[in-house]
Amino acid sequence: MGRTWSSMDDFEAFLNDGGMVEVDDDMPDEYRTAVFRFIELHANSELMGGLTERDWIPMTPGLRHKMAVLAKSQDEIGHGHLLYMVAADLGVKTRREMLEDLFAGRSRFHNVFHYKVRTWGDQVAICLLVDGAAVPSQKAVYKDCSYGPYKRILKRILAEEGFHLRLGEERVLRIAEGTDAQRAMFQQSIDDWWWPALRLFGPDSKPNDRLARWRLKSEKNEVMRAGWVQKFVPMLHSYGFTIPDPGLTHDAQTDTWTCGPIDWEPLKRTMAMDGPDTARRIAEASAAWETTRWVRDALDAAPAGAVA
Amino acid sequence: MRTYEIFLKRDGQEEYRHAGSIDAPDDELALLLARENYLRRAEGDLLWMVDRQHLLIGDRDFVAPNSDKPHRDNDGLLVAAHRKSQRESR
Repeated sequence: MGRTWSSMDDFEAFLNDGGMVEVDDDMPDEYRTAVFRFIELHANSELMGGLTERDWIPMTPGLRHKMAVLAKSQDEIGHGHLLYMVAADLGVKTRREMLEDLFAGRSRFHNVFHYKVRTWGDQVAICLLVDGAAVPSQKAVYKDCSYGPYKRILKRILAEEGFHLRLGEERVLRIAEGTDAQRAMFQQSIDDWWWPALRLFGPDSKPNDRLARWRLKSEKNEVMRAGWVQKFVPMLHSYGFTIPDPGLTHDAQTDTWTCGPIDWEPLKRTMAMDGPDTARRIAEASAAWETTRWVRDALDAAPAGAVA
Repeated sequence: MRTYEIFLKRDGQEEYRHAGSIDAPDDELALLLARENYLRRAEGDLLWMVDRQHLLIGDRDFVAPNSDKPHRDNDGLLVAAHRKSQRESR
């Protein structure tokens, strides 16, 4: 019942016209695979992020923030869930295969989830800087996304990521008003997380990026990165914190902040699954997958249509 | 006669939305009647239909507990108020 295209040119003309692809369309294999990989990477990242968030539930200070972090963990795992469903429907891998690949270290997740979270300050920095990078990246995908099921799920995910970002801004306010020791802890976290969060956008976009041509991306990496720098430098300065970038420059005329040269080596290492905390993170996720095996077994064993 | 619930989707921008219901003796005629009643002027380009007896319904009492979870939200007002008072005290 889906649509078919006679050639890649025909398909690209359809995309160029603003066409939306649906799951039952006979899309070209290259497009199907590219969309699948993109969503799988997003799903894996939500899940890996959610698992770290979960680790911090007992250590989050104050009942109000503890409850918020409970909700945030549920949201992140939920996003993983939604995305795995959308990805599985593309028919490249089943949801179980995607999870098993992730826990065996065979598939990728975003660079920021390859680092160790040491302190509450790190959690605050992540909630601000990482979520603050994820939101514009996802918005740029959502804006003109050619794959309908992904676009519709992103709408819901973005609404929840907005809550997280505002939560991050509130955490920063609290920690900025804290003791000298708390402020020093947070400054250390900014120093540790500034660059990994900035590298989340990736290197400058290539001129003929096929993901841009196929409308999976609607903004260049360097433009989003510049927007992020422009937003967070003044915000952190206003609280009296410093930015760990000796090459950071300010154009007084346009009031524009520009970051210095970026070292891409750490990004390459995380993409090669060789980040500072990669092995431990995967081992922990894999252990969680094992300890919940009994739930999957019980679900598989239940007769169809049985009342829960 | 059975009653069917009809859902329509217009291009990829939207989710399927409930459009209404229809009575029909069987699936085939239900589809035809749905098209003639609900898709008269390209109100959608895809159609889902489900026999009402197959709908699983979570009623208001079932859904209610989740309407009282303010910790899942953050309206940003606290931060906005703080920044405003900072600006004014400068």
